Amino acid sequence: MTQPAEDARLDAVVDLIVQLAAGDLTARLDPSPARDSVDAVITGINLLADELDNTYQTLEQRVIDRTALLDQARRELERMAFHDPLTGLANRSLLGDRIGQACARADRGGRPPCVFLLDLDEFKTINDGLGHGAGDVILVEVARRLTGVVRATDTVGRLGGDEFAVLLLEVTEDEALRIAQRALQEMQRPFTVANRTVWAGASIGVCFGRRGHSADLLFRDADTAMYAAKACGRGNVQVFLPHMHRAASERLRVASELGVAITAGQLTLHYQPVVELATGRIIGAEALVRWRHPHRGLLLPVNFISVAEDSGHIIELGHWVLQSAIGQLRCWQRQLPSSFQLHVNLSPVEVRWPGLATFVADTLAQHRVPPHQLALEISETGVMTGDAGGLETLLTLKKLGIGIEIDDFGTGYSSISYLRRLPIDTVKVDQSLITDIAVDAHQATFVGAVLRLIESVQLRAVVEGIESTPQLEQLIALGCDYGQGHLFSEAVPADQMIRLLLDRAPGTTPTWR
Amino acid sequence: MSVDPEPSGYESLVIDDEGIVRLQWPADVRITGASARAAFDAVNRLCGSARRPMLVDMAMTTSVAREARAVFGEPSAASRIALLGRSPVDRVIANFTLGVSRVPCPTRFFTDRDQALRFLREGLSDAAG
Repeated sequence: MTQPAEDARLDAVVDLIVQLAAGDLTARLDPSPARDSVDAVITGINLLADELDNTYQTLEQRVIDRTALLDQARRELERMAFHDPLTGLANRSLLGDRIGQACARADRGGRPPCVFLLDLDEFKTINDGLGHGAGDVILVEVARRLTGVVRATDTVGRLGGDEFAVLLLEVTEDEALRIAQRALQEMQRPFTVANRTVWAGASIGVCFGRRGHSADLLFRDADTAMYAAKACGRGNVQVFLPHMHRAASERLRVASELGVAITAGQLTLHYQPVVELATGRIIGAEALVRWRHPHRGLLLPVNFISVAEDSGHIIELGHWVLQSAIGQLRCWQRQLPSSFQLHVNLSPVEVRWPGLATFVADTLAQHRVPPHQLALEISETGVMTGDAGGLETLLTLKKLGIGIEIDDFGTGYSSISYLRRLPIDTVKVDQSLITDIAVDAHQATFVGAVLRLIESVQLRAVVEGIESTPQLEQLIALGCDYGQGHLFSEAVPADQMIRLLLDRAPGTTPTWR
Repeated sequence: MSVDPEPSGYESLVIDDEGIVRLQWPADVRITGASARAAFDAVNRLCGSARRPMLVDMAMTTSVAREARAVFGEPSAASRIALLGRSPVDRVIANFTLGVSRVPCPTRFFTDRDQALRFLREGLSDAAG
């Protein structure tokens, strides 16, 4: 039998065990001064409870820590899943989600969202020329500039490559267009990358949502509008209109037919004379491609060149043009002076093609045409985008003795000092500069200054688009030596061109005026 | 040689004529992590660079906190330790300390002072040999 005092202590031990069993791991019992076996049991239970409590708390803390880690990992995964790693912008998935939510709000009576798509015009040129690192720098800067023009409520996203999208919420059409224009202006500012200044430019397609529209539809229509902006000469903002769908379908059809046209012999070259203005003598001709479409008649380059560039047919098309033009030059060679030069246009895409110089050299050799009789024209914006590979190709062509010309001068942003550093010998002054030359004294002064500047850097100027005698007289008065335009002749088939050439052989009297 | 006791910690700490460190805890003490740390540091200061056997008189100790047991698991100037107690309570506390902590030197619990000292002297002869 135990003593009553001992019974009381054992009861206390039982209570302690019950408390611990109930989950109160902080329960303890002080041993008595007797320090006997019952106190030893009490001490042991206290120590075990201490361990248990500690283990429990350690596990609890571990669960808290692991949960925090999992939460952080989830947030990181979410960020990776919904953001572009390069720019930190929303990706297509997140943007699509937000547009979807905005469309749903519009369906419940809210204001429909506006989406615009922005595609850099010259990104491929920069990327190919200066490398992917430089391309990435441009993309990050584009992201920064775009983020700077939108409001806090808007979302800027990168859809991939050089394509960006902006979601504008609670916005009027006027405000949306102002934001799109500001974005365009930001893209027209130069970019500095690897100590070089390059121009990327951009085309923007805007789509205003309507009730019932889905995110996919907004993306698609903004994309269509963006392609319309590209087709309008790039560097502009276009708002989606239903007829653009027809245009987009049309481009697809043209791309498909173009592949057939090249092999089926539907392409032909027309030639426009280049004239020495003072004498009226034809010193060369520009070869211009035409498409004899079986149903649509004779198509001008404006109807299919940009499609060829976008669809990848441009290299094949360019080869055909070069081979046909050089072949024609060979046919005319016996009838023309050796100074006669044939001008052939190159797309910036062709200039970037690494095999261009070899192809041109081989074709000239094949037709036994001296290189100086060929001049290749590339547009001002095509050269300005700083493609190192392209410049290398131009330099190689120049060394071969082929003439290199800048086309459409005055439509881009190039400076004379920049042109001076390029391997070119001729500058073709764009028609837009001389339109009012005969009636606007200021414009005449300006063109005179441009011509003197070109001359001052030892380049030859050829003015394009001369349509009237007053224009011609004004240009002669300004000291312009060469030109072309409808005043002299529109682009004509080869047989007409040779008649023009023979009619105006050296020694004959010019009768253009 | 001796050092002054900590306010709420051990009662005395000396090195006896044989070179054995003697650490005395007062009756009814609740050894906390802090008081264990203070005693641990004092032992290390007292011994300097030498390693010595140590007799820890912990009879009448009320409790040894978990944090204190962790301190006792750290390597110190003690080359072997005899824990001296009297009651079953002391035995539970001592063995809990030995069982839960990984002691860094030979450590045993005794209820007989002479046996404890014999155990420590073996340490002295080990060190001398």
